[in-house]
Amino acid sequence: MSAPDREAYAARQAQLLDALLRGACAPDGFDAERAEAAGRSLRRKRAGAVARAWPALALDLGPEFDARFDAFARAVDAPASGDPRADGLAFARTLGRDPRRGDDARAELLLGRAALRRGGLFVGAAWLRRPRRRLLVVARLPWLGVVHRSVPRGRLWA
Amino acid sequence: MTMPTTPVTWRLGQGAAWRPQLDGALARADGLGFIEVIAEAIGERELPAGVAAALARGLRVVPHGVSLSLGGAERPDPGRLAHLAAVARRVDAPLVSEHIAFVRADGRESGHLLPVPRTREALEILSENVAIAREALPVPLALEHVAALVQWPDAEMDEATFVSELIERTGALLLLDLSNLYANAHNHGYDALESLVRFPLDRIAYVHVGGGRFQDGVYHDTHTDPVLPGVLHLVEELFALTDAPGVLLERDGDFPPEAELAAELRAIADAARRGSEHRVRA
Repeated sequence: MSAPDREAYAARQAQLLDALLRGACAPDGFDAERAEAAGRSLRRKRAGAVARAWPALALDLGPEFDARFDAFARAVDAPASGDPRADGLAFARTLGRDPRRGDDARAELLLGRAALRRGGLFVGAAWLRRPRRRLLVVARLPWLGVVHRSVPRGRLWA
Repeated sequence: MTMPTTPVTWRLGQGAAWRPQLDGALARADGLGFIEVIAEAIGERELPAGVAAALARGLRVVPHGVSLSLGGAERPDPGRLAHLAAVARRVDAPLVSEHIAFVRADGRESGHLLPVPRTREALEILSENVAIAREALPVPLALEHVAALVQWPDAEMDEATFVSELIERTGALLLLDLSNLYANAHNHGYDALESLVRFPLDRIAYVHVGGGRFQDGVYHDTHTDPVLPGVLHLVEELFALTDAPGVLLERDGDFPPEAELAAELRAIADAARRGSEHRVRA
């Protein structure tokens, strides 16, 4: 048998990948309905992993989570590491700032950004509302790792 | 690159896939002989405390790779192979396992185990990739067939034949996943038992069992649901045919209360024991 054509093989696999991950048309000969179902199932699996890694964000988005994540997943591949925390952070960035976002989701996002910052320093802050308005400051520092303090608004300017 | 056929020298007994969320439950589970760890989730030096504790208790640890993409067009990456080898050495593994699947193409990661076309050409590429992997690994390699909702249109053989050919050509071992077999048989309309007997059962390194659910007539291999009776039945049928060296439960999410997990492990062990009794009597 002649040597297999790895390039052609790669191209066919890439086509299938597009169909499954992005919801593109299934390549010739594939059962289109099955490919669509398989793609949905894979995106749902990915969404589930992200929801488990970012529980407050998922809870905050509520019933919107599924549709918004699906739209994100069709446009953006999962990170090479496969890490659902990194995947969720990329997803959260596409949501932008939303004044309706709850305290838990804000805190989760800030802590997640600090934890996932590669090898570098991180300082960030977010306003939380309950039980009273306060500023959550999160930092990632050499030796200490991720540390956080919450400062009530009244004391912030004192 | 021909490599010798690996003999199976281990008895693993009952196993469970180790996940951080199951740490406590697995530490207290009765009768476990081995655990499986996702190789990519484990560092080469520092082991998760639960995995180190399992080793100290005398359990065997099998690294399970998910990113080699042995069914991909590219040759397996030396860095990923080196990591799998290092984890195998670190846990003194009797063997490692990977999938008959591709996970990336054209530099894009799918994040999933996708099926390969069941063609002679794919067999050639897989065999070469498996040989490269075996060269780089300090221990035997077992290959797992995956559950796939979608199938390539140009299949030249069925799954049992394809897997048998691959195992025969490469000298690797079989990681038989009964849930994947159940899923593919149901979703693609063939008989699971008829297919099972044509897998290379004498080459089984160990067996996977996982939970799933039916949705719109399609069986989804979720690993987040209980193991269905139909899959337990396959465990029994398998052990009636052969004394497989180990059988392992995979649970990846929606983790059940500890008692429920223990009951599921017991149900799997019971099915294996019932099968073995049939075999011995026959």
